[in-house]
Amino acid sequence: MIEFRKVSKVYPGGTVGLNNIDLKIEPGEFVVIVGLSGAGKSTLLRSINRLHEITSGEIFISGKSITSAEGRQLRVMRRGIGMIFQSFNLVKRSTVLRNVLAGRVGYRSTFRTLLGLFPKHDMDLAFGALKRVNMLEKAYQRADQLSGGQQQRVSIARALAQEATIILADEPVASLDPLTTRQVMDDLQRINREMGITTVVNLHYIDLAREYATRIIGVRAGEIVFDGTAAEATDDVFSAIYGRPVSEAERLGGKTDEAI
Amino acid sequence: MTKPFYTRWKMWLVLASVIVVYAWAFSGIPFTGIKQTAWQIIQAIFKGLFHPDWDYVYLAEGEDLLRGLGETLAIALLGTSISVILTIPFALWASRNLVRTRLFSGASTFTLSLIRTFPDIIMAIIFIKAVGPGAFAGVLTIGINSIGMLGKLNSEAIEDLDMGPSEALKACGANRLQTIWYAIVPQAIPSYLSFALFRLEINVRSAAILGAVGAGGIGTPLIFAMEGRTWSRVGIILLGIIVLVTLIDWISGMLRRRLVQGRS
Repeated sequence: MIEFRKVSKVYPGGTVGLNNIDLKIEPGEFVVIVGLSGAGKSTLLRSINRLHEITSGEIFISGKSITSAEGRQLRVMRRGIGMIFQSFNLVKRSTVLRNVLAGRVGYRSTFRTLLGLFPKHDMDLAFGALKRVNMLEKAYQRADQLSGGQQQRVSIARALAQEATIILADEPVASLDPLTTRQVMDDLQRINREMGITTVVNLHYIDLAREYATRIIGVRAGEIVFDGTAAEATDDVFSAIYGRPVSEAERLGGKTDEAI
Repeated sequence: MTKPFYTRWKMWLVLASVIVVYAWAFSGIPFTGIKQTAWQIIQAIFKGLFHPDWDYVYLAEGEDLLRGLGETLAIALLGTSISVILTIPFALWASRNLVRTRLFSGASTFTLSLIRTFPDIIMAIIFIKAVGPGAFAGVLTIGINSIGMLGKLNSEAIEDLDMGPSEALKACGANRLQTIWYAIVPQAIPSYLSFALFRLEINVRSAAILGAVGAGGIGTPLIFAMEGRTWSRVGIILLGIIVLVTLIDWISGMLRRRLVQGRS
């Protein structure tokens, strides 16, 4: 469970990133956070694993405060939270397998990881994770030889190798084409359903949000302005979140049964 | 509208400054004229240079061209290897995207600048005083002197790296050393090797000259041959240096091209 208690973030210079957020995300939920760019989606997501620091309030992961965690404690909490990035953030010159094994370094001593001596358990986890995203046959290829969609699936495998109970995805499909977008979103949904991993995704396509989310959170100017099911998030609701009518650029199009 | 004062007089001001600088520079050099024998000496030098002493290439009792060049190459290789290792901590500490404390990265940048301000000849003379003349002084000079350039180039390369993978490793719960090893090192290796090879090219030239002040290698017999006016021996030594430098440049250039191709 992820819990925000009166969380605020003020950037140096006075810009408010988050304003007094109270939020609870239950285990197994598939939450999609929507909002204009600059509304605070990314800040909200990245404050969960403290890639962004908050200025006040406290965030709890499974009852433990990550806000007050330091050093080893913080690293132990982070290794249980997988993260997917818009630009994949793989080490392009390393093999796919090594990128996935990077998800295990938080579990092993510095000495072991510097020598690359991963125990069989870790290797099994890495191969299992690659199999789950259908990337097993690419294990020994260099990451830069893969397409964008394939790279994103490797980064999902990295999160799985972490044995994460939470996956945070910051605009995971923003640099992908519509077809691979659906493949990556399907992977995330399947993992969420089959393994019960709590998934929090930032998206800007409203039709994708409705299609995959069990819960949609709308963010505007650092505040939560909508929190409900996909069915409740009508076009009017999105207009309210965005503060203007929904534009066509915010729809991916394709499979959705909603009228476009 | 008239031109502003500065624009109108700019050319004349620049010209006047150049004349002042030249006048000052020439006033410091005593012109003693050209000696009567100059033409004969120049003829002798060129005759020697174009009739190299081929016997000097290999002498059974040692102290020949091949051994001199061998020692020069050894000094350059060993010196470069030392600097390539010593430069790692400096490069990491000087990278502002890895070290958050400005004072700390600034201290490393300052040290690197300080090393770069020392000409290698001066550093060689200092090391000769410290450890005595010979190849060891040459190795130390090159080993320390190269850190200045390699540290700066590598830290700048690290500052230009994609920090995304580092962020991802941090999010995985990796500590700083693990993050550097898994996210920074694989990205930095091609440029690191390329800079090391480039520096090796410079160091072969440097090692050839350092012998002139007594830091081992081919420079020592070169300076002796010049003092003894055995121009044919000077000729063969210069020829040897040209061949060695060209060969190393060619090999190094080939390797660096392959590194660049493999990067992308």
